[in-house]
Amino acid sequence: MRRHAGAIVLFGLAAVAPLATRDAYFLDTIVLILMWGAISSAWNVAGGYAGQVSLGHAAFFGIGAYSAAVLTVHWSLSPWIGLGLGMALSVVAGLVIGYLSNRLRGPYFVLATIAFAQVLLIAASRWREMTMGSEGIPVPFKQGFWTLGLASKVSWLYLTLAFALVLYLVQVYLEVSRMGYQLAGVREDEDAAQALGIPGRRLKVIAIAMSAALTSAGGTFWAQYVGFVDPFYVFSIDLSVLFALNAIIGGAGTALGPFLGSILITSLEHYLRATLSDIAPGLIGVHLIIYGCLLIVMVRFVPQGLIGALGALFIRRARTARGERLART
Amino acid sequence: MTKRFGGLTAVGGVSLDVDEGDLLGIIGPNGAGKTTLFNVIAGYYRPESGRVVFEGRDLTGHPPHEICRLGLTRTFQIVKPFGNLSVRDNVMIGALTRVRSVAAARAEADRGVERCGLGDYADVVAKSLPIGLRKRLELARALATRPRLLLLDEVMAGLNPAELAAMVELIRRVHAEGVTLVVIEHIMAAIMRLTRRIVVLHHGEKIAEGVPAQIARDPKVVDAYLGEEFTLE
Repeated sequence: MRRHAGAIVLFGLAAVAPLATRDAYFLDTIVLILMWGAISSAWNVAGGYAGQVSLGHAAFFGIGAYSAAVLTVHWSLSPWIGLGLGMALSVVAGLVIGYLSNRLRGPYFVLATIAFAQVLLIAASRWREMTMGSEGIPVPFKQGFWTLGLASKVSWLYLTLAFALVLYLVQVYLEVSRMGYQLAGVREDEDAAQALGIPGRRLKVIAIAMSAALTSAGGTFWAQYVGFVDPFYVFSIDLSVLFALNAIIGGAGTALGPFLGSILITSLEHYLRATLSDIAPGLIGVHLIIYGCLLIVMVRFVPQGLIGALGALFIRRARTARGERLART
Repeated sequence: MTKRFGGLTAVGGVSLDVDEGDLLGIIGPNGAGKTTLFNVIAGYYRPESGRVVFEGRDLTGHPPHEICRLGLTRTFQIVKPFGNLSVRDNVMIGALTRVRSVAAARAEADRGVERCGLGDYADVVAKSLPIGLRKRLELARALATRPRLLLLDEVMAGLNPAELAAMVELIRRVHAEGVTLVVIEHIMAAIMRLTRRIVVLHHGEKIAEGVPAQIARDPKVVDAYLGEEFTLE
């Protein structure tokens, strides 16, 4: 239970937040923290746990966003069906990308993932009959759970909280299960893992497909929440970077890391956007520069992310308290 | 079997028989093709010609993880610990190949860690181990996959005399427990003490095979090692 203390506090606070305030801006921030945290967790399944760093996860996010929007607009089908379709399509796309990850390593794999998202962006902005092209699709609002037309921010908060919990549990599974340990072996050294009987290639592909499906689900929820799908946003490299950034800043390969990263980045973005645009309209992109600097500082000084920094702090304190010697080196 | 890299023949027409219960040594100067031979047997390279047969089954072209599952495990000369994981988790990942339950694998890993003299280091992160202990971890992890044939690639290289003695003792014990062993070694003295039969590779070819005493006197072997006196100790 103690190892989940952080998550219990975090998700607990999110759950009771509506009791404290009904301020729409504040609740919106919490919904987005949970949403981006959950989607970064989905990225983390491939990027953190399997060590397959992708900068093209917006592809799966966009697939999820479009699947639901297109089915609703053209055939009046429930976004829940779109959610399922998006996840299925993303599994297929994930298998293709996963196959590539066995052919291409390191930077070449990253480039392939970026290219993949770009291809989908072009397809979505050109296939006008289906996607309404570069103008984007407004998602029709129909009140009700089945149509995901939730009028109140509070309902959205609990829905995204449930989604975030699922993602947290998926990651915990990847820490304590047989598959998780084997994946850790593949991440640490693929040749050694294979020598020990682990089907490294297959596991990587499975992890990427899982990651893709979960990211897609996040895309569907986001599109329904925001109510509009813009191809230049949902397939953008900015978004792919954001997913990776949250996880890396918080602590890649840890279950809580992506959520910690999301708390920092999402609230920072909300705050900076509001204040900077107040000062001068020209400052609106400055938050991106601040992200960049933050990433450099984190990677240089706290490579294990926030969770690593916090963990080291707690351990040091516990050690001095018990007067233990530091670990042998 | 034969394995070529471009114009270079790393292993040329080497044939090797290992009986159940053997403890076979393979020696040879640097670049003799010893590790390439292991890489072919364990499925990392595909040979240009020849076959690898284990317990009557043709392994040629099988991927490494399947070969391990069939009971043939190898270690790496340049050890490959899972650096950021604990010693126990390293061994447990090996055990999970045979045991589905994580708890059972952990218990088995604890026994394996103890057996290989790593008990004091079970919770230490693998990358912080000194080389002597890393070599032992490499062995412990491979043993956790319950091999019937184990290929050890220079597990004794770089050890100090005390560590070397402990390693020889450990290998003997593993062999006594019924694991068939093929041991690559650069240091002649160590392998002479350990094995009953030795194969000598040079320039990718088998130049001698026999009991240690016979090998030490073989003029071709002495020739091959000439100019590498330090290895003779």
